[in-house]
Amino acid sequence: MAYDLPVLSGIKNLLIGLWVTLRHLFSHAVTLQYPTERWPMPERSRGVVVLLSNKETGDLNCTACMLCAKACPCAAIMIERHRGDDKKWKIDSFSVDNSICCYCGLCEEACNFDAIKLTPKYEFSTYDKPSLTYDMHRLQELGRDVAYTPRVRKTPAAATPAMTATTEAGGASTPMAPRTATETPTNSSEKGGSA
Amino acid sequence: MRLELSSLLKVIGDWISSLGLPVWLVDLIEMCGAAAMVMGMAFLIILFLVWWERKLSGHFQQRLGPMRTGWHGWLQTIADGIKLFQKEDIIPKTVDRKVFYWAPVICFASSFAAFACLPWGKNLWPTDLNIGILYIFAITTFVVISLLMAGWSSNNKYALLGGMRSAAQIVSYEVPLTLSVLGVIVATQSLSMVAIVGAQEKVYNWFIFRQPLGFLIYLIAATAETNRAPFDIPEAEQELVAGFNIEYSGMKFAMFFMAEFLNLFLVSAVAVTLFLGGWHGPFLPSWLWFLLKAFFIVFVIIWFKWTYPRLRVDQLMEFCWKFLLPLAFLNLIVAGFLFR
Repeated sequence: MAYDLPVLSGIKNLLIGLWVTLRHLFSHAVTLQYPTERWPMPERSRGVVVLLSNKETGDLNCTACMLCAKACPCAAIMIERHRGDDKKWKIDSFSVDNSICCYCGLCEEACNFDAIKLTPKYEFSTYDKPSLTYDMHRLQELGRDVAYTPRVRKTPAAATPAMTATTEAGGASTPMAPRTATETPTNSSEKGGSA
Repeated sequence: MRLELSSLLKVIGDWISSLGLPVWLVDLIEMCGAAAMVMGMAFLIILFLVWWERKLSGHFQQRLGPMRTGWHGWLQTIADGIKLFQKEDIIPKTVDRKVFYWAPVICFASSFAAFACLPWGKNLWPTDLNIGILYIFAITTFVVISLLMAGWSSNNKYALLGGMRSAAQIVSYEVPLTLSVLGVIVATQSLSMVAIVGAQEKVYNWFIFRQPLGFLIYLIAATAETNRAPFDIPEAEQELVAGFNIEYSGMKFAMFFMAEFLNLFLVSAVAVTLFLGGWHGPFLPSWLWFLLKAFFIVFVIIWFKWTYPRLRVDQLMEFCWKFLLPLAFLNLIVAGFLFR
């Protein structure tokens, strides 16, 4: 090492380094103290799966059509159902195995009845694997406080290309209304039809 | 009216001597009392320094550091201490048991013994040796021996490498450290810590202004002496896992750990005594001034740690022998002319 200019510029650089770390010392810490503070989750983030209920009657929106179970790529959804006296499917049990679920959201897309939804909730650690399988009641309770906008239902009659464009705008609500009411017992579809 | 600890101690001392005990007993009580007080102070300082270092390290990285135990984590060190106290004392099969056992004891004892002649405040020092500064540097050299003992007896290549590295480093940096201190001693004509503090009553008399180069050399050498970054190759985690103390656990590890922080405080306290006017300062009690200044030096050393990357072994030695040592000699020569 020589006593010449490199030493001086080196000292200058050392001081610059000290200044940088000092600025960091007094800047705001980025730590989020997790259990007491939480990141606000985005509205459409895909966390745990819940079953949605009718806000007025409190019944499940699910019609046991099995579309979600068929859409599920990892077979995490298990549904048991039977024919009721009115020839409609009645749901016996509905369970989601969260240890298999890949949170892809395909079940939500497949559902025609606003019955299943992925929510921003994510804190569901357990100590054993079996308790990651949620039964119908747990899924329903989890979904109680989940806000959702009922989608505009496309009925089979509106499936012609010319009609679909107008259904989206709500123009075909009058002819559709009786049909939707008869086909599905959910009132979310009626809300959707009038919206 | 400043709250001076020494006046309180004087009252206690007078009360003890008024009891009519034999002189040797009074002396013994006073000695033991002083030792116990310094010991208590040392433990309190360790507790604080560990927390201080962790908080500062956190905030230097824009983290928070310990936050959960107590207000801003101030109880964290106590919790850690209790945990270490409960740990099983593991002695590996192949170690040299005696040497392995005594290494942490010597390390802690030698660091602690140096506290005997620190002037903590106005009329507040355990003893005023007329060779105070020499005593401090002599007794802390035992740390090197203990590190070598720990490295050798562990029968572990990482421990041995760490011990050898730290011995090489500490012995090398002892030279510029002592030479930088000589400048101050030349000026005060005394090796007594109390006399050195006494020579710096006014702020413009502080040796940091009269010996700025000496202070810088001292600070750099002291950082190396305490094995702190950027001179932390003896415990370079990436290469040596933990250095000399890798095989230690439980209270033995805690003793090395405490000795490390005692050493850190010691070099800071010596820096304060030699260069920053010791306990002199306005308004606040003298002992508080001493502690505040010492903790400021500790802050600077931690600041270095989070700013500079670790030096290579050859760079370390080159920096010491080819750069710091000539500068220290230059400083000493200038001091010799200035303070004739």
